[in-house]
Parts: sequence; structure tokens; C-alpha cells
Amino acid sequence: MQQPPVLELTNLRKTIKGKDIVKGINLTLYPSQIFGFLGPNGAGKTTTIRMIVGLIKPTEGSVKICGYSVAHEFVKALSNVGCIIESPDMYQYLTGMENLLQFAAMNKAISQQRIKDVIEMVGLQHRVNDKVSTYSLGMRQRLGIAQAIISKPKLLILDEPTNGLDPAGITEFRNLIRKLAYEEGMTVFVSSHILLEIQQMCDIVSIIKQGSVVKTANIQDLLQDNDKIEWQLSDPETAISLLREHWNIQASQLKKNTISANIGPHPLAKLNEFLITEGLALTYCSATGNTLEDLFLDLTVGDEIV
Amino acid sequence: MFSLIENEVIKMISKKRLLFVIAILVALISVFAYGQHHASERIKTQLSQRMGISATTDWHKIADQQLIELKNRLDSPYRDEKDKSALRVRIEQLQYNLDNDINPLEQSAAKFTTKFMEQSIFLFLPLLIIMLASDMVSGESSSGTIKLLLVRNVPRWKVLLSKFLTLIMLEIIVLFFAFVLSEIISGLFFGFGGWNAPVATGFKLVAGKLDTSSVLNVPQWRYTLMVYSLAFFVSFVVGSISFMISVLVRSTAASIGIIMSTLVAGNFISYFLSDWKITRYMFMVNLRLTDYLSGSFQPIEGMTLLFSILVLLGWASASIIISFVYFTKKDILV
Repeated sequence: MQQPPVLELTNLRKTIKGKDIVKGINLTLYPSQIFGFLGPNGAGKTTTIRMIVGLIKPTEGSVKICGYSVAHEFVKALSNVGCIIESPDMYQYLTGMENLLQFAAMNKAISQQRIKDVIEMVGLQHRVNDKVSTYSLGMRQRLGIAQAIISKPKLLILDEPTNGLDPAGITEFRNLIRKLAYEEGMTVFVSSHILLEIQQMCDIVSIIKQGSVVKTANIQDLLQDNDKIEWQLSDPETAISLLREHWNIQASQLKKNTISANIGPHPLAKLNEFLITEGLALTYCSATGNTLEDLFLDLTVGDEIV
Repeated sequence: MFSLIENEVIKMISKKRLLFVIAILVALISVFAYGQHHASERIKTQLSQRMGISATTDWHKIADQQLIELKNRLDSPYRDEKDKSALRVRIEQLQYNLDNDINPLEQSAAKFTTKFMEQSIFLFLPLLIIMLASDMVSGESSSGTIKLLLVRNVPRWKVLLSKFLTLIMLEIIVLFFAFVLSEIISGLFFGFGGWNAPVATGFKLVAGKLDTSSVLNVPQWRYTLMVYSLAFFVSFVVGSISFMISVLVRSTAASIGIIMSTLVAGNFISYFLSDWKITRYMFMVNLRLTDYLSGSFQPIEGMTLLFSILVLLGWASASIIISFVYFTKKDILV
């Protein structure tokens, strides 16, 4: 990570009508990273994104994109950004092509060839000359992605990008994002509440709750931290107490004959051997892996939404 | 900048709002021209049937007749002072026409074109401009597309300026179409001439009386040019004010509603509250700029062409300043 950061948020704060919506976010992203921004509804995701692209002014703190401050060097900073904010709102009375031409006209660096390429990248070539008002949500989403990447930005910000895409579209989209990040070196900032999406797509994830980031980590580390194991065996109560006494593992009963636990650093083979020698009939054992969802719920559940 | 304006023009054409405005113009001008034609034909036949005179050649007689009638009305004890001074103005104008051999009954395309704008300047023309201006910013706010515009590498003031310049272009286009359409449509009824006929202008209202000391005759085309220049100024002012409201309000419907109700209210404020001095600083009562040229009666005394222009200019510049300051500073939350 010796390259200069693409995005730097320093103590970013926003207060709207006396309510703290975003309470001091710090974040640094480097080229080719895919970053997932996770949080329940109303956590301040969109407000943060709006501050990054300069749609709203931070109450405190600063945003730097490729070293340029959004507050003071807006044009230079925004030259490096492509984004979709909330919904892909387009000019309904124009065709997809005309929409793209509108945005191309605002940036001299965009060539006709680039427009063509982008349309093919998002798979809109058959419908690009139809009015946007006839598009489905999924197609509007594709067009939204097209306008976001048309200027070859260094930072691509996508707010709920897979809304309305069908499963094939989501896979396509995921591949496109990977290609953009790893081949073209874009930094991708994805906000979502679809946890699986983030888990499958992102390298780094931040979980935001009530305006503060509660955890930022590499996604592999997060998930490998504590593998979750499920055992199907004859006497769950005994198994739970044995595991607690001998291994200091907190297991819980899931179903009639199933218990599950985070085994932490202990090797699974040893544990299984132990359970069998203790006389328990072990019929099934599987490592479910800790999903991001568990982590997400762990970190955010039980708090009312602001 | 140029490509930004081009973008705005493409949007405006695709939205078909301009087309709609032009369609309204065609419809209204056709109705007016036909009505005017119908009325003048009827007057002519009535005149020839009743008095055996022709309106085109013997107009002096008719004007004399009208003059006597107006004077009789002036002598009626039941009229209040306001009505009387209005009558006095008309009498003196008619007298002036008689003295200078200007036929007030003669119809021509040139006259219609001018008259149409004189009648439109305080309500119809502003409404057309409002239809175009109210949507310029609020339309993008309500559809959410404003976000797409403001996250480009273009500063906000440039985005707004391109919209404002487009609006000025649209104002010119609307006036151009109003002129061309009324000339063509009325020309079919009245013939295309009349551009060199003399028109009296330079009337002044001093203490409720018409001061004709500085009245002079100008050719119709010059008078028309003056009327349309004033109409452009009015469009610019009304356009700027509705542009501001469109910046301040997120929904197009609300923005059209606010400016239209203000405008309509202004039209009766000038009648009901003419004694209240402060009303003269409202933009709505200052829109009848062409009345200063034609010498029609002004509802509020002490207002001059210069005064009205300054008041309107004040409103326009305040609107433009507020629009730009607010737009470059506001948080976009749509």
C-alpha cells in the first residue's frame, strides 16, 4: 500500500437540525481496493457518500479525493469520481444514449469510443436508443453504472448498486466491479445492506452504526477469525458442558440434536476426537463459517435506528 | 459552458415544454386575430348600415362621435375621480389622433402584433415564461437528476449559469415566436402592411392628467420594437423571479403555484390597494410597461417608466443573487 490514497476521510461529521447523522468517520482507501460500507437503514451511509461527492457540506472534518480537498478543489477532486447516489435517477424523457451524451458533454475527456465501450460493458447495447421511461429498474441500474464509469474515474462510488438487478445481472455486475478494480485499478466504494453481496465482492468492509464506524477490517480476517462449527450428536446438553469445561468453548443448542460453537484457535479434528472418546455419538459435523451477517447482527442489533 | 447550455437545450426540447408553449401561442393568437377581425367587420357594417359612412375613409366622423360620447360620460355625476381621469386620458388621446390624422380604427398585422404583446405583457407572457422557468431547477430536484449534474467536475455556479442563460435564450425564442406567429396569423386577416403608419407615444401622466407635451409620432415598426424590448425585459424579470423560486422549492408544481398566484394577486392588488404606497414596489404591478408608451391609465399614480424599470431590475437582480448564493451553498438531500 505504498501508493497514495485515493480517498481520505478525516473526522467526517454531519449534524442536520441538531441531530448527529455522521459522528466522525475516518477512512483511507488505496487504489484497486473494493470497499464495502455496511450498515442498517438510517446509519448514515448515504449521508457519508453525499459528503464525499460534495452534495452536502460536512459540519466538520474533510474529504480528500486523490489528494484534492472536495471543499476547496471541487473540480479537481470530482474529476476522479464516478458515482450512483441512492437510486439511478436519469432523465426519463431522454434515451439511454442521450443521457450518456449529456454526461459526456460535461467532461471533454470522454470519447465516442468510450461511450460505446461503456454501453457494451454494462450490456445495454440493445436498449440504449429507447427512452429511459421504458426501462426496468435493472436496466436503469445498468445505465447508472454506465454513467458512473464513463469518465474512467479513480474512485467509483456505488450506493445500493444491485437494487433491481436479476441474479444473472448481479453476477455480471460483480465481475464487472472486479474487472474495474483489479484490471483498471479503480477503487470501488460500495454501500449496501445486502450482506452477501458485500461478502462476495469486497476486500475491506466497514460496518457503520448510528453514524460511527464500529468495525473496519479486511473481509478475510473478519470471516476467518472465528470459524463456526455445527455438530449433530446424541446428547447435546452433555456436549455443551464438556466443551465448556475442557476447552472453554461456548456452544449453544440450535436444534434438537444440533449444537454450534465458535471454536476459535482449536483444531476441529482434536475436538471431534474428544467428543467421540467422551462417548457421544457424532453423526454429522460441518464448518458453516462465520458469515458477515452474524458479525453484522452482532455489531448492530439491539440498537434502535436513529 | 457552451456544451452545458447545449445540454440544457436538448433537455428542454425533449421535454416538449417549449413546443407546448408555442402551441398555446398559436391557439391564442388565432382566436384573438379572428375575434378582432370579426369585431372590426361588425363595427364597419354597423357603421355603414346606421350612419351610411365607411370606417376606412370617414373615420374622422366616427372619432368625433366617440369624443362626444366620452365627454358625455365624463360629465355624468355618478362617476368617481378615478374613472374620470381614465376617461380624460382617452379623450385626449383621441383628440391627439384627430389632430394628427392618425386613424385609430385601422387594423393591420403590425398593429395587431403590437397590440397582442401590449395585452399579454402583464399576464399571458409572464405565464408562458413561468411555464418554462419554474421547471428548470426544481424539475431536476424532483426527479433526482440534480445529483447527477452536481457530482461532475463542473462547479455548481456553472451548472446554474448554464441554466439561466438557457432561460434567457428561451425568453427570446418565445418572444420571437409570439412576434412571428401574430404577424403571420393576423396578416392573413388584415394584410401584412402597416409598419410605417405613425403611432403616438410619449404620453405622461401628471397628477391624473395626460400630459401630451412630449408626445411624438414614431413609425409603427419602431413602436413595435419598443414594445417587444419592454416585453423582453418583463420576460427577463419574471423569468429570473420564477427561476429563483425554482431553485428554492423542490417541486415544480409548488414553484409554478407560488409564482402564478403572486402574479394573479398582483393584478387585483393594483386595483384594490392602489392607495397603499408599498404596492408600487411589488413587481406584479409594474409589469404593464407598455402602458407608459401608449398612454393608458396607470392604476397607481406617481409611477413612471423609469420607476417601474428600476423596481423590476431590483427584483431581477435580487432573485439572481439569491438563486446563485443559495444554489452554491445548499445541501442536496433529494
